[in-house]
Amino acid sequence: MEPVIKVEKLQGGWDEFLVLDDINLEVRKGEVLAIVGKSGCGKSTLMHYFLGLLKPWKGRILFKDSDIWSSPEALQKARRRWGVTFQSGALLGNLTLLENVMLPLKEYTDLSERDLRIVAFSKLDTVGLADFANSKPLEVSGGMQKRAGLARAMALDPEILFFDEPSAGLDPVTSANLDELIETINSSLGTTIVIVTHELTSIFAISDRVIMLDADVHGIIVSGTAAELRDSSSDERVRAFFGRNLAAKKRSNRKCR
Amino acid sequence: MANPGKLIYSGFTLSVHGVLEDNEIDSIREFIDEHKRSIYDAGKLVLDFSDSPGIESVAAAVLYGSCKRFICAGVKVRRNGASAVIEKLFETLAKFDSMPDPQKKRLSIRDYFENIGENVYELGKTLYALGHFFGETIYAFTGMLLHPLKVRWAMVFYYMEESGYKAIPIIAVLTWLLGVVLGYQAGFQMREFGAETFMPAMIGYMVTWEIGPMLTAVLVAGRSGSAYAAEIGTMQVREEVDALRVMGFDVFSYLVTPKMIALLCVMPFLVLLANFAGVFGGLLAGSLFLNLPASTFISQLGKALIPLDVLWGMLKSLIYAVIIANTGSFMGMRVRGGASAVGKATTAAVVLSIFMVIIADALLSLVFVHIRPGLSM
Repeated sequence: MEPVIKVEKLQGGWDEFLVLDDINLEVRKGEVLAIVGKSGCGKSTLMHYFLGLLKPWKGRILFKDSDIWSSPEALQKARRRWGVTFQSGALLGNLTLLENVMLPLKEYTDLSERDLRIVAFSKLDTVGLADFANSKPLEVSGGMQKRAGLARAMALDPEILFFDEPSAGLDPVTSANLDELIETINSSLGTTIVIVTHELTSIFAISDRVIMLDADVHGIIVSGTAAELRDSSSDERVRAFFGRNLAAKKRSNRKCR
Repeated sequence: MANPGKLIYSGFTLSVHGVLEDNEIDSIREFIDEHKRSIYDAGKLVLDFSDSPGIESVAAAVLYGSCKRFICAGVKVRRNGASAVIEKLFETLAKFDSMPDPQKKRLSIRDYFENIGENVYELGKTLYALGHFFGETIYAFTGMLLHPLKVRWAMVFYYMEESGYKAIPIIAVLTWLLGVVLGYQAGFQMREFGAETFMPAMIGYMVTWEIGPMLTAVLVAGRSGSAYAAEIGTMQVREEVDALRVMGFDVFSYLVTPKMIALLCVMPFLVLLANFAGVFGGLLAGSLFLNLPASTFISQLGKALIPLDVLWGMLKSLIYAVIIANTGSFMGMRVRGGASAVGKATTAAVVLSIFMVIIADALLSLVFVHIRPGLSM
């Protein structure tokens, strides 16, 4: 499958603190790519680079073969085709959910006010929030805020959807619903999805491919399908992440008793 | 809950049975106190943990402390049969013990100068970034002048109300009060020389040149500059600014320029209001305390002031408006982290705006001396 995003020899971090070094990565069209790793390994930082919120120290990020940092217009053009949901939802607090979803539509389309409302409303309906269209973000629960964030990200029918820890702070049921929603978007619209998470269940439920980052090497240590990484990786760090070590230890403890 | 732990002392051995819990520390202390004579006499002590699966941390710390006292007094202490968990805990305690106390680290003269240097460097970096920020806003602003329909006028009106209309009472009252005080105090000094008829001119100059614009700027910086920093800072913390950015919004035209346009619209009128209130305060002081009738006051004032005086103050306020809106927004944009960072940004916004307003005022007065007739030497 053709790559939609290509990361070439990316190096970067915050201020003078190196987080990522020599990252080479492709996001292929139509796949669900999960980025996993321990806290502080640079997942969110990598996401910031994908989104063009940080400028790489070295290396390039290509969206459909054009460097997003080559000109402000290139970045703007790429962003037009992306949708992003943030950890907290990141809805504008002074607008209602509906107005939040209308925001990108207003900026990029010439729809009339009425059409804007209809489109935004239908997006809210897809995530099951039609009844809360006129609520302010702080009046609804955290899970709803995230779903509204997703509706906003989908407003312009993006080619790529980015998720920054969608299930963080959600209960298992809500989180499973969100996974299902992501899965539906991917399969019905063919949207490419990049998701940062440490939720093992989501990783197995929705990802086609997993890459794992590590803080010590400032980069990717392994990539493959979730099952491959779980079952056949010999890397200690991968095994630790998928809980093989702890599970094995507990089992052997139980046998002793 | 398991049985509380127990200590048994026999021979040179202090054996621990069960799990020593945090609420047992008094009895641990008592027990050790009871046996300390014989431990000192024996000259050695074995802590036997072979019958203890674990220990709670406060109990461990108490035990460690007592053992340390014995070691200092020359008693040989060793542990026996401790599980990995307990061993680890005691190692951690020993490690902490050997660490230097951070409080005790004295600053040398060198460190002191290093600190000063670092702070100056940081300030320089901040001012540089602020300059950059000004540039970006002014760029966005000129873009808006070309496309006035793209301005979020609803937000502009909102900020005009918040920063302008709602500031009217406080600005009017404070400048009026200052006018009264200044008029009274200056008038009394002048009366010594029979010059109280010049008091209106003095009040007129002071208020229109300095007090009106400056006090307005300080109050607006305190009310609105801080509010802008807090608003944008909170949005920054909640990732809203990032969200706007990735949705392709120009955050400068979205968040900063509406505030700046609003302040540019209201500041001159606030200054005008402040001028009126201040002069009226002086008039009141004159007629109440100095036998200076209102008609004399007004005619004297009319002789002294020229339109440029008032206009200059209003012009200056435009520059203050740019400074306040930008500094507030800039500090908000720089927020990283959590709620406390927002608070710091708010304070920094007010301090830095007032600082820069005063610097700008000083520079502008150099210009004013040259353009105002009758002022150049």
